Amino acid sequence: MSYRYRNLLSYALNCIQRYRTRTIVILVCLTISSGLFASVIILKDGLVREGQLSLKYAPDITVQGVISGRPSYVETRITERIQTIWGVERIVERIWGYGNIGNTLIVIIGVQLENPVTDLDSTYPLESGSFLSAQQSNAVVIGKAVAELLGAKVGDHLSIVSESNQVHQYSVLGVFNSESAIINADTILMSNDDARSFFNIPAGKATDLLVYTEEVNPALYELQVNFVAREISELPNVRVVTKDIIANAQETTYGARSGFFSIVWYLVLISVAVVAFNQTVVVGHESKFEIGLLKALGFSTSDIILIRLVEATVLGLIAGSLGIISGIFNIVVLNAPILRDVMLGWATLYPSFRAPFSIRLQSVLLTYTITVVPVIFTTVVPSWLNATVDPDIAMRGARA
Amino acid sequence: MIQTENLTKIYNKGKPNQVQAIVDANITARDGEITVFTGPSGCGKTTLMSMIGLLLSPTMGRVLIDGNNVSDYSEQWKAVFRRENMGYIFQHINLLPNLNAVDNVLMPLLCHNVNVEEHRGPALELLRDLGLGDRSHFKVENLSGGEQQRVSVARALITEPKIIIADEPLTFVDEASAKTIMDHLFKLRDEGKTVLISTHVSNLARLADQTVSIQNGKIF
Repeated sequence: MSYRYRNLLSYALNCIQRYRTRTIVILVCLTISSGLFASVIILKDGLVREGQLSLKYAPDITVQGVISGRPSYVETRITERIQTIWGVERIVERIWGYGNIGNTLIVIIGVQLENPVTDLDSTYPLESGSFLSAQQSNAVVIGKAVAELLGAKVGDHLSIVSESNQVHQYSVLGVFNSESAIINADTILMSNDDARSFFNIPAGKATDLLVYTEEVNPALYELQVNFVAREISELPNVRVVTKDIIANAQETTYGARSGFFSIVWYLVLISVAVVAFNQTVVVGHESKFEIGLLKALGFSTSDIILIRLVEATVLGLIAGSLGIISGIFNIVVLNAPILRDVMLGWATLYPSFRAPFSIRLQSVLLTYTITVVPVIFTTVVPSWLNATVDPDIAMRGARA
Repeated sequence: MIQTENLTKIYNKGKPNQVQAIVDANITARDGEITVFTGPSGCGKTTLMSMIGLLLSPTMGRVLIDGNNVSDYSEQWKAVFRRENMGYIFQHINLLPNLNAVDNVLMPLLCHNVNVEEHRGPALELLRDLGLGDRSHFKVENLSGGEQQRVSVARALITEPKIIIADEPLTFVDEASAKTIMDHLFKLRDEGKTVLISTHVSNLARLADQTVSIQNGKIF
């Protein structure tokens, strides 16, 4: 780099120190704005990642029962009909629902222990104890966060209250630690038979049917799943949900909730822009005088724009970095107060659920962009306007 | 050599508050001479100096420096010309607050392709010559008016310009500072530089090689 550009760069950095009040005001406002934005986007990334993890072992198609348009148990006899559809590989009956332990609402999932369709060791990796076995009834394996919440460990007994207010006793065989925070936070596994007994679901019915399609070329996957889903939806009293529909619903839900916060953020950003512009005007006389003087001393308009550009970019990058750090702090340490309740929506079901943390490069770049661009605009534009007038006029105007 | 041809500046032209600051100024300032512009306050001295120094665009007329019509230069080239040829001592001193004396002196070098740190020594020497050796690292707001004006003189000279434009350089200074500044301006004249000074102090005009009298924007 030539000495000339080194000098201009050094002068720009020096300006950040010299205009201390303006620097502090802009940094504080932008950090609040970008911190809010980063919190929303990091939490959204975390929730989307959670959604992706929960879909990792999900079936291609879930078939639910419907009576009079309301959800109901699904008749298991339709499995025979579904099995005949081209492309269907396997169908699993699933029993699941909610139970209470004290005031805590938990999700109880029945597991098919014989010839399980998914790799249980990788879906629910054990942290302690052992997994369920077909020979042992009235036993459960619980999520790590559930165990922490209840203070339960392997060998303990849990009393779970069903919807019919019956108390069922289970011994804790093991504690699993899944990749997904959501699963860890609220899931208790038991055998399908125990689950059927707990929920009092009669034989010939299930909560839903999990349909797995044959493995095909990835390019044909969507075509095949849509075909099977369409065929199943022709059956009476069923509702069909594909993996894609669940993924889209998650994206839409979190997108809408983060959209709500984006509006809040947008309002904050406007305030910041006003503050930044105001600061430029407040220090405008000083800045105008400086620009006039620099031009008188031989600086060109492009030199001045370069100085202000560097100054604004550095300010924006510092504020963006502080915003990202405060966003991470908000999610990881503070567990996203306020944001968490609004973004999760169903948070009351998960009293111990911690806000999931995930950050994508795209989100980091977006945060820097929304921080740097406004400060560049509100700093460079007034400077450029001042730099295009005669130096004498700029200096006289500043004194006026 | 600097020449002006029918140099005119009208502020707020065509508006009710129109002011003819300078009308048809034709002057010649030779190299190696001190040209002094005299006249009462508000007569147009600063406007004329600013137009000659390419700090203000004339409404009409032109400025020729060594035969080149610099009034027609683009803004970019005017900046380059000022950078390489002009040194200014402003009536209002115009130092940057929050910077110390020596950093203010080094300011014009920032837009040159030079290692500024290598010029810190000469800048300190200039300040010493102007009697500010012990004040070089003081913030300029902590200096007296006379001291600030001497810093401004040092800033004008750090790039060794061919033309020095000094607008009321003795306004805020005490007698001792005035003598120091004048001694420097005479030295520059002896080095062959073109020195333009505006003043309302008549005894300063007596020291000039050429005096131009201005009244109500007109040259006499």
